[in-house]
Amino acid sequence: MLEDIRVLELSGPFTMMAGQILADLGAEVVAIEPPEGARGRRMEPFLDDVPGLDRSLTWQALNRNKRGMTLRTDSADGRTLLEQLAHTVDIILEELPPGGTSVLAGCGLPQTLIHAQITSFSKDGPKAHYRSSDLALMAASGAPALAGEPGRPPLFFPVPQAMMEAGAESAVAALAALAARDCDGRGQAADVSARTAAIASGLSRVIAGFAGDTLPVRSATTGAGLSGVRSVPGMYTCADGYMVMSIVFGAAFLPMTRQMVKWAIDEGELAPEYADAAWQAFGRSAAASPASRAPIDALVDAVSRLCRTRTKQQLAATARAYKFMAAPVNTMADIAASPQFRERGLFTSTTVSPDGRAIDIPARFIQFSDYSIETRRPAPRLSEHSMEILSGDLGLSGAEIQALFVHGVI
Amino acid sequence: MRTPLAGLKVVDMGWLMVGPESARYLADLGADVVKVESSVRRDPLRTLGPFKDGQIGINRSLSHHAINAGKRGIVVDAKHPQGREILTRLLAWADVFVESFAAGVIDSLGFSYATLVERNPGLIMVSTSLLGRTGPEATGTSGTGTTGAAFAGATNLLGWPDRAPAGPYGPWTDSVTPRFIVSTVLAALHRRRTTGRGCHIDAAQAECGLQFLLPAYYAFAANGHVPQRRGDAGSPLCCPAGVYPCAGDDRWVAIDASDDASWHALRAVIGGSLLERKFDTLIRRLRARAEIDRLIGDWTSGRAASDVEAALQAAGVSAHVVATSQDLAQDPDLHHQAYFQTITASEIGEGVIRGPQFSLSRTPPVATRAGPQLGQSTVDILTTICGLSPQAVEALQESGALT
Repeated sequence: MLEDIRVLELSGPFTMMAGQILADLGAEVVAIEPPEGARGRRMEPFLDDVPGLDRSLTWQALNRNKRGMTLRTDSADGRTLLEQLAHTVDIILEELPPGGTSVLAGCGLPQTLIHAQITSFSKDGPKAHYRSSDLALMAASGAPALAGEPGRPPLFFPVPQAMMEAGAESAVAALAALAARDCDGRGQAADVSARTAAIASGLSRVIAGFAGDTLPVRSATTGAGLSGVRSVPGMYTCADGYMVMSIVFGAAFLPMTRQMVKWAIDEGELAPEYADAAWQAFGRSAAASPASRAPIDALVDAVSRLCRTRTKQQLAATARAYKFMAAPVNTMADIAASPQFRERGLFTSTTVSPDGRAIDIPARFIQFSDYSIETRRPAPRLSEHSMEILSGDLGLSGAEIQALFVHGVI
Repeated sequence: MRTPLAGLKVVDMGWLMVGPESARYLADLGADVVKVESSVRRDPLRTLGPFKDGQIGINRSLSHHAINAGKRGIVVDAKHPQGREILTRLLAWADVFVESFAAGVIDSLGFSYATLVERNPGLIMVSTSLLGRTGPEATGTSGTGTTGAAFAGATNLLGWPDRAPAGPYGPWTDSVTPRFIVSTVLAALHRRRTTGRGCHIDAAQAECGLQFLLPAYYAFAANGHVPQRRGDAGSPLCCPAGVYPCAGDDRWVAIDASDDASWHALRAVIGGSLLERKFDTLIRRLRARAEIDRLIGDWTSGRAASDVEAALQAAGVSAHVVATSQDLAQDPDLHHQAYFQTITASEIGEGVIRGPQFSLSRTPPVATRAGPQLGQSTVDILTTICGLSPQAVEALQESGALT
């Protein structure tokens, strides 16, 4: 879909997901790294737990479909070559350091160029000079303060998330600028901050402080978030792991919760009279609070007993048949084995360097009626395409390229 | 000067967050977005808080206003024959149609992509559901971003090893998926300029969520490890890096000072035992992680989280308060970015929601407006888009199709 679009990605943690989304949608993306390798190459986990510049699985995961070259952009030659490359592309993706100065500052850039610039915090506000890290940015997003249990520290994903949020947001921002350019032919800068991108992960909590309503707090267990009755557990132990069972009482979801009630009655774990219980009284928007939460306790106990003897797959199948809301707490192994993801075509095959072993990866993040995300090439090895870009795209001679290498520019 | 999507026509039949948030991105870029609801199929987001001044009401949810900012609203019954005719006209008008019914429901309502594209070949239709439209488990699976997070592998990764998974707070895939949807819609619009063709986009929220966890998936696919929740924030390969308790009730600060320069800056600020030579090297710090964390925690726990952040940032150490909703509301950097925007709506007066997620330097921004009151623009949409006369609108109102 973006086959006519060329992208230069000055690789940093924030750009990786952006470049990959554009590449997956057909754009030709070149990742520029310093000669010692992009920061993403030093991000865990590593292939076979052995570190190496071509062994980072984070790099492999976020750089498929790109070509890669090295360039020391703070050298005179590197800067000139970068400026030349900038004239051959439609979009530049760049992560700016604290203070917000682009390595392209002062370069003559074409009017048609779209320049996505990603900062950690604001570009020029009170936190523009902050030292950032994925941990600090996620802390600043407002989401972890709501994840976990009271009395224990807030929870953070074991996979860096601010870089994912920033990258995905930047893909949108760059394509928004492309939409504008498609109208009038002119490029512009698209400014993204990783912190505001990450705020999305806390959903509407960012505005709760202004509403004058009760403030959200860390809740004990997944699943209770949609109910006004916060103490309804959402997490249940089952025979081979855990299930999320959404027991919620708002008007829109009540029919599904009633189906869960019906299942518990059909299985003989809940007394039949609960079919007629006034479940709607537990919804937040219900006028009066219920006299007793006994029905909820009975339902929770029944669901707990039912889950314990059944597998995730069995319970998910039951949820589909009865049409209540439940989900297996999938591990990555469950996802790899799931017939749903596999038969739908989520996976493509790719190789991971340096030994070229093949693995299946969940690349097709969205399906289209007339386009398919494919793995055209694996993530580039360090400097893999430097020669072809310098000679093919920039017209340098073999001797000139060797000279650049001797001088540490590439 | 034009906004990037000026003139783009969007019909939003999503509900809750994924579909509507995707459409809000388009509204923020200048598209004319019509949000379709019916009184029997009201967007449940209207029943979720926070509510302005804590008073519940279908037009009072600030989540609704935030996620539906700048849209026009119509109420029409998709199952009423005349309501269906209105929807047919709206979907012939639209450039982009977003729906988030459970898989297959839109087809049974008679608005499948194959049907719509006959009248509107340039249509870009987005269908989004938890598991997508295809695959053996797609049909019958319904849920929210909370169950989506479980399917995506996210829930299992948040929690403590000694307890059941805690999961992310709330419907996590709802925040991830819209970026993938909007990227693909914008790419499809780019292609449509030259081909005239639209397409059908099928976004499974669990699959989009998984993209944010790809390193964990690769750890399994390449190394055979099944990543598990580990409770502690930060990387086990970095020290110190984590969250530390601060003075006050449930206050925390995140600190990442693992590299040499940050470590020296941190120990200079805190002083005491951290200055001992046994903590000079990374390897020694990793081996003494518990002791270092305790020493840092002793220092932070007597101080306000904001003071810790200020003192460490002044020394060049990455640190930030683990922000609560109140912290965000007062954050000077967010105010500097004009991230918070005041809207006006008749039932709530003034309210504060967030502005656009990013800014473009040249094209004009779209002012952040309120979300539609239920059915606020029904008559306007029927006359200006569907071309109905005032008499026809009146007849329609009497028919019961506009409920």
